[in-house]
Amino acid sequence: MSYIVDIMSNIPVKSDIAVRWMGASFEERSVWIQLFSMVLILGGYFLAAWQMLSHGMTVLVPYVPVFAVAVTLMVIVMAVGHAAVAIASRPEGRDERDRLIEWRAESNSGWLVGAGVILGILAMIASVPNVWTAHLLFLSLFLSEVLKCVLQLVYYRRGM
Amino acid sequence: MAPTTISNQIRALRFHHGEMTQQELAVQIGVSRQTVNAIEAGKYSPSLEVAFRIARVFDKPLEDVFQFDAGDGPQRG
Repeated sequence: MSYIVDIMSNIPVKSDIAVRWMGASFEERSVWIQLFSMVLILGGYFLAAWQMLSHGMTVLVPYVPVFAVAVTLMVIVMAVGHAAVAIASRPEGRDERDRLIEWRAESNSGWLVGAGVILGILAMIASVPNVWTAHLLFLSLFLSEVLKCVLQLVYYRRGM
Repeated sequence: MAPTTISNQIRALRFHHGEMTQQELAVQIGVSRQTVNAIEAGKYSPSLEVAFRIARVFDKPLEDVFQFDAGDGPQRG
């Protein structure tokens, strides 16, 4: 057993991730927490919504409690994650690089919301049920936020 | 993402200033240690304000801290 643990601890990918995490600023860790919680929880919501849609549930109201639970869970996970990171290492506060990275990532991910709005309008013109249109808009917002987080992490790691 | 065309002597200057740490420099110029690390590695070009603050910490003119490699970059006119 100790042999296996020894091998696992020497896997370069694992140690590389650990080193990167230890060297990351509070802001970068915050982005990781946002990305993780969004993909895990809102991704879970979209899976649940897809199941409901595929079973022919075309009324929007039953989706509301599922959505409310997902958002509440996400807020809890984010709060706990940020608190844990803040306890482990004192936050330094945002500086000009953090702000620039966020602006650039936002600028390069905002088009997804725009595309979602255009598709939403087209869906309304085509008389697509409201439940599909609502989820299309929400999906574009979700993907835009995920892309923003991914771009922020790329800019933190590769520079800008 | 292309690296910046601005190089710097911050690492050497830190060494010649009592082996100042990145954290110590970061506190003096008001940014995070990771930002100082990114500037040193050429992954981030600081604002003019931060550049002047760094130069002031080392008591050097800006040109002694940062160098701009114009290369074959775009030119107007």
